[in-house]
Amino acid sequence: MLLMVTVAAALGEDDVTHVLNPAGDRVPLQTVVPVYPERALRDRLQGEVEVCFNVDREGRTSRIAVRRSSNRIFEKPAMQAVRASSYKPLADNEILSGIKTCRTFRFRLDPVAIEDPSEQSGGIDS
Amino acid sequence: MLTCAASVAAIAQDNKTILGPANAALQEGANALRAGDAEEGIRLTLLGLSQAHSAKEKQTAQSNLCAGYALLGKYDEGLSYCDAALAANAMHWRARSNRALIYIKLRRFAEADADLIVGEEISPNSRTIQAVRRMYLDATNPVSPSVVIDDRREPPIEDPDE
Repeated sequence: MLLMVTVAAALGEDDVTHVLNPAGDRVPLQTVVPVYPERALRDRLQGEVEVCFNVDREGRTSRIAVRRSSNRIFEKPAMQAVRASSYKPLADNEILSGIKTCRTFRFRLDPVAIEDPSEQSGGIDS
Repeated sequence: MLTCAASVAAIAQDNKTILGPANAALQEGANALRAGDAEEGIRLTLLGLSQAHSAKEKQTAQSNLCAGYALLGKYDEGLSYCDAALAANAMHWRARSNRALIYIKLRRFAEADADLIVGEEISPNSRTIQAVRRMYLDATNPVSPSVVIDDRREPPIEDPDE
């Protein structure tokens, strides 16, 4: 079962979706949302980056590496977001797993419909 | 016999060395337009156009007038100057960019795209043209950026550290 939460960040609250893994051994504490690269926005580029990293006992991320990406333009913001994110620290009785944690970022551009007021028909008499 | 300093002055005089911009009004008009003072920029650029010594100066003045009138929202006046600049020099990328901007404002998107394509060929790294292209896309293909952060574990694949 997936748990969906919305995270507020540089993008609008409605523009970020965080899909959690309830079976994951580490629980996200602070999730930083990557900035949508300006050039990608200008050139209407979408893409996906998977970043894998270690999480230490205190919940800090380290050894961050891109596992796969569809476009290099998205790699830097994805890595920066992971670097600035953190997980809940382990309790004293919990054992640190050697398994890497991975996070996939999907950069999307959703079409929006903008109504042009000058094209409205009816309603106002002149 | 001339002294050394006098010789330099004489040579400079003979070569008609000009310090500073050749067409001061044109330069000051461009500065005013860059500063956002469209009316003063247009006034000075019109003066610069009347004093233009070369075809290049004339085209620069026409292109800048096109930009100035675009800033004021006087698109028909702006178009006439861009058209004049491009009639004299079809490879004038700033006039292409300015005209594309006006076409976007007038919602003449096919013509805007045509000017942008030519402008991008002439000056592919121009930030101005890139900005106008962005305005064109925002007008014709508006989008809203979003990011999905997916923490689901996928079947293990090759680890980059191993």
